[in-house]
Amino acid sequence: MATIKVNKLSRDDLPWQLEYNTDRCTMCGRCVASCPFNAIEAGVEKRRKITSSDVTPNPKANFLTVPIIKQVVDCTHSCRGCGICEKVCPNTAIKPVRNEDERFAIKYRGALADPYKRGGRSNLNTEGRTLDKIKIGRISQMTDPSLDAQRHTFDMLAPLGRILPPEQIPFEVQGDELKLAKKIPPVRWVYPIILGDMSIGALSWRMWEAIAIATAYLNEEIGLPIRMCTGEGGIPSRLLRSEHLKYMILQIASGHFGWNRIISAMPEMIEDPAAILIKIGQGAKPGDGGLLQSKKVAKHIQEIRGVPKADLLSPPNHQGLYSIEESVQKMFLSFNAAFKFRVPVAIKVAASATSVSVYNNLLRDPYNIVGGFFLDGISGGTGAAHEISLDHTGHPAVSKLRDCYLAAVHQGKQGQIPLWAAGGLGMTGNLAADAFKMYSLGANGVFTGKLILQLAGCVGNDSGKCNACNTGLCPVGICTQNPVLVKRLDIDKVAENIVNYFLAVNHEFKKLMAPIGNSSLPVGRSDALVSVDKSVADRLKIQYAC
Amino acid sequence: MPESTRALIDGVINGKRISTQELLQKIYKKLEEGYTEFEINASGQHNIGGSLWTQDGKPLKFYVKNPGQRVGSMGLEGTQIVIEGSSSADVGWLNAGAEIILKGDGGDTTAHCAANGKIYVAGRAGTRSGALMKHDPKFAAPEFWVLKNTGSFSFEFMGGGIAVICGYDCENLDSVLGYRSCIGMVGGTVYVRGSVKNLSDEVWLMDLDEKDLNFLKNGMTQFLNKIDKAEIYDKLTNFSDWKKIVAKTYEERNRRSFKPIIDYRQNKWVEGGIFGDIIEEDYFVANFYETSDLRLKFPEWRNAAYSAPCEYSCPISIPTQKRISLLRQGKIQEALNLVLDFSPFPGSVCGQVCPNLCVEECSRKYIDDPVKVKDVGLLSKSLDVKMPEKELDKKVAIIGSGSAGLSAAWHLRRQGYQVDILEEDNIIGGKLKQVIPTERLNPEILDTELNRIKSIGVNCKTSAKVDKDMFKQLQNYYDAVVVAVGAQNPVVIPFEGHERLVKGLDFLKAVNKGEKPSVGEKVVVIGAGNAAMDVVIGAYEMGAKEVTSIDIQKPAAFDKEIEHAKKLGAKILWPRYTEKVTEKGVYLKDGTLLEADTVIISIGDRPDFSFLADEYLDERGRVKVNDYNQSEVNEKVFIPGDAIKPGLFTHAIGDGRKVAINIDRMLSGKELDNFERAPVLPADRVKNEFYHPMNSNNILGMDAVDETKRCMSCGFCRDCYFCLEACPEQAITRNENKDGTFEYISNPHKCIGCGICAGVCPCGVWAMLDNVEKYLEA
Repeated sequence: MATIKVNKLSRDDLPWQLEYNTDRCTMCGRCVASCPFNAIEAGVEKRRKITSSDVTPNPKANFLTVPIIKQVVDCTHSCRGCGICEKVCPNTAIKPVRNEDERFAIKYRGALADPYKRGGRSNLNTEGRTLDKIKIGRISQMTDPSLDAQRHTFDMLAPLGRILPPEQIPFEVQGDELKLAKKIPPVRWVYPIILGDMSIGALSWRMWEAIAIATAYLNEEIGLPIRMCTGEGGIPSRLLRSEHLKYMILQIASGHFGWNRIISAMPEMIEDPAAILIKIGQGAKPGDGGLLQSKKVAKHIQEIRGVPKADLLSPPNHQGLYSIEESVQKMFLSFNAAFKFRVPVAIKVAASATSVSVYNNLLRDPYNIVGGFFLDGISGGTGAAHEISLDHTGHPAVSKLRDCYLAAVHQGKQGQIPLWAAGGLGMTGNLAADAFKMYSLGANGVFTGKLILQLAGCVGNDSGKCNACNTGLCPVGICTQNPVLVKRLDIDKVAENIVNYFLAVNHEFKKLMAPIGNSSLPVGRSDALVSVDKSVADRLKIQYAC
Repeated sequence: MPESTRALIDGVINGKRISTQELLQKIYKKLEEGYTEFEINASGQHNIGGSLWTQDGKPLKFYVKNPGQRVGSMGLEGTQIVIEGSSSADVGWLNAGAEIILKGDGGDTTAHCAANGKIYVAGRAGTRSGALMKHDPKFAAPEFWVLKNTGSFSFEFMGGGIAVICGYDCENLDSVLGYRSCIGMVGGTVYVRGSVKNLSDEVWLMDLDEKDLNFLKNGMTQFLNKIDKAEIYDKLTNFSDWKKIVAKTYEERNRRSFKPIIDYRQNKWVEGGIFGDIIEEDYFVANFYETSDLRLKFPEWRNAAYSAPCEYSCPISIPTQKRISLLRQGKIQEALNLVLDFSPFPGSVCGQVCPNLCVEECSRKYIDDPVKVKDVGLLSKSLDVKMPEKELDKKVAIIGSGSAGLSAAWHLRRQGYQVDILEEDNIIGGKLKQVIPTERLNPEILDTELNRIKSIGVNCKTSAKVDKDMFKQLQNYYDAVVVAVGAQNPVVIPFEGHERLVKGLDFLKAVNKGEKPSVGEKVVVIGAGNAAMDVVIGAYEMGAKEVTSIDIQKPAAFDKEIEHAKKLGAKILWPRYTEKVTEKGVYLKDGTLLEADTVIISIGDRPDFSFLADEYLDERGRVKVNDYNQSEVNEKVFIPGDAIKPGLFTHAIGDGRKVAINIDRMLSGKELDNFERAPVLPADRVKNEFYHPMNSNNILGMDAVDETKRCMSCGFCRDCYFCLEACPEQAITRNENKDGTFEYISNPHKCIGCGICAGVCPCGVWAMLDNVEKYLEA
């Protein structure tokens, strides 16, 4: 009943509270009808006023019972702050408001003995972003001609595949012609941003298809040779058999979900995929495997992945791999062989204190079958993880990328195994700036996921708003398999927004390349950067400026 | 005035090149001297001919050979500059009105930023020529004529003026404007003859109109004359070779020309979508709130789907909320009769002796006081009932006429069974009649209700003790036998002097039969349960002055009974351990003596099953029954009430009713019922907010029938129309059924699943059900 006791969860414990104006509310019910979390409900509220209007005391009791919308106070139905109620309210009568004095982390664990899980990114951004402390500070003025972003022709391509140094390219003269004596490793020159790396399952089928459409559109209608990584959650057969497969980087992670379909579709493939990406780890939850909670394992996901409805946990490791050497042998060799050595094979690891050792080892690969090193930092996103992993495990990408690049430089092997970096790039909205700085620090390319979701209409952020990707109840149909919710997502609009964003990014790249006078990507051109933070400057070996 | 009209200026003096500054100073000097015509034999000096004028407006003429960069840059109107041969970059840069005739090729950025005047080039012009040309409407538009071609990136950011690129002798070129010209061009016109490639997408390449032709015809004559090439006029005026380039307008520039994604998806993407083979997809985009299958939740009017707390707590499951609902609907008779479908003792039990577990959880208690169920019960005490509508052949014997037996008899008889009650005592009524003090149970009410049972044809044989033989015979004669013997064997503890004890049950029976057993002044009652409290009351009634009840544990009697006893003056002591009983009274183990003229023990009674064959009993002497209170060894035999487990009258009455229903089911060949109850309505489903607390005194003064205003009708629709009025989509209708009942229905095609119906329903009848989970199941 209406009693409140000390240990009962109460409204002031919750991270989000509803600000509700009963005078403006018409009880149209749209907010309640739209909230997938059951965090609000209709109810009635009692009003009671005892008044006296005579010249002598003469109490009159006036009772009123009023229908209202109210917040559900419950650990499992707490308001996520997604703000859909506010969006649909015709009268601006309701909205979630952040409660600074919340105690939810304590109350939830205390009540349910459950390590809290959620989606999104690290919500503890205590340090500020390194990339924001770096400026492109070396401008061509009088020293050398800066370029005109509008007019100049820029070469914005990044390699995906093993690059041989000139002396190792097996040229030979045959008659009057210079020819290759034997096959060299496959290399794709692609746009320096790869999209996605998010699985079907984590994403709704509409969201996933929208990224695929945007990718194909950018290639075919705009001419940006951008690639999409599939994530590991199976790939639709129709896509495997289509000409658009050439834009797809197929991922294999520790769960190996969906690979039976990929393999059995091989005889019918009319195009090779762009590349294979072996996922060893993920920046958002390093040391942890994939996690797809059963609420998202709908019928079509069960089918594509070949599993029953259950929480799907991928192992933290590729089972059967016990050393770097073994992973090179088993994974790289097998996936090179899978497409007869025509398709580059790269590896993705979570940035870690050990990343340089791994990269150094790979650089010694004598078989030339390592086609890329993808480094994913702590600020990457995920569909579902333990909050403790999201907030407290991982390694920032920036210095680690720099370390790897300089390690390659030390060996004189920079550029041979392309470096691709990720982890929160574009999280403040400007991917071009973040990517450009990463290139200058040594990345050949970058990859981005959560930004794509933001483009699609994700209402969450990195300070606890929504973050309900794991619940299967994504209010905007992005991270759910529920048709009622997925149908909210406009696949064409999503694709259009992604396309438009990359048109803008493409232009913004030029606005950065022109002033430093680079016609091609400034990979490793760290002289272009300055940092206003001495420690960042020292750590990254770039100029300090103040 | 100088002697010669033309000043001769040499760029090399004494075999040594002079600087640009020196040369320009010489020009200024001559100009000051009054010269207006200059012949300059330069040696690469720059900026010749620019920003010069005469005070009287007389035109200036320059004949220049071998100049450096920027000939004629910043030239003013009234200046003519003729350059022999070719020139390097920036001829006519920032031209502000000069006529510049270049007899050879121009370097890069020829006519750059020209805003007035005319520039004629007899050969080629380099890259970025004509870039940033402008036209200020206060001045004549600049013109820039080139006989042959320009380099790449020409006419970038051009904002106005006219350029004419004649493409003469350029037939072998891919593009007479080089590569990617006209980038950022926002105004002006470039006429061009010959092939043009890689133009900026910010311009249109168009055919000429009449105005263009007139301009070109006139201008061409002049241009060719200036550069001494009049003979090629005809070749250059075949206007089918010409085009003009104009900038897109601001509006045209901002128009996106990309293919809509939907066209791409439908025509170039995988047909039917990449998931089309595993999921139904129509690409419909839903609103955040929708009707029908796209709702997150949907409502259901679940009237009476839950037990109200009163119904759930009552051992007989009497649906008080339903009784009151009927009263509310004005169906008074139906409401009062309803209770008789559950119990023949609404007056005696509900209205008198029952501790009323029903109202312990009554939702109304959270507002003020529970519904006055005793008063409601008493409303039904003297209802007349008719004989059964049908008579059946089947016969049932009931051993014992206590509340369990009578309850069974009542329900069986109302079904039309022939019911014989065999009662050992000389009166019927069991403990209700035998032991409950009349102070607690008005004998008049009890007799009325006992007579009502008899009135429907229940046959009662009193002083009819059943023994083993008779029990066997009963089975032959009757279709079913109900063993409702209750618990008639008082328990006695064999401490010293136990033979002095009066048994509570015997004592109470004697009291109620009017035998007035004498107890003296001081009485000790061993035991402090409900029955012991009745003994206490009886003892006072028999004249005792001081009654003490003792127990080894916390008294098991209900608070109400204890209060009653205490009011009479009784002391209730615990824990107290009896050592022995003597003529002085009770000695406790700690040596204390509780003086007593009479010591009565009342710590419970056990059933007497001496008439049952051994196979009916387990090793501890209890009768073996299944979940239906049916003997495990004889399906015809049912055992309700205290004979199985000591309990309240309501437990016995409830058991009797269940047994009666199951006997009917058994004899009709149906499966027996285990009387599973609907779960109790969760407390928060009832909306307290609708009710306003009443003062207890006012409640006391209310009539029982006015409890309709206080009962919150838990889980039972009170037909208030609140849902119907509150539904924002007006999706709810109320239908009247032929049998006089009604129902509310929500139309899924209108309903958006907001749950306001459930939120406002005072009774918790509307439930919101999940519409989402079903899609996720395999």
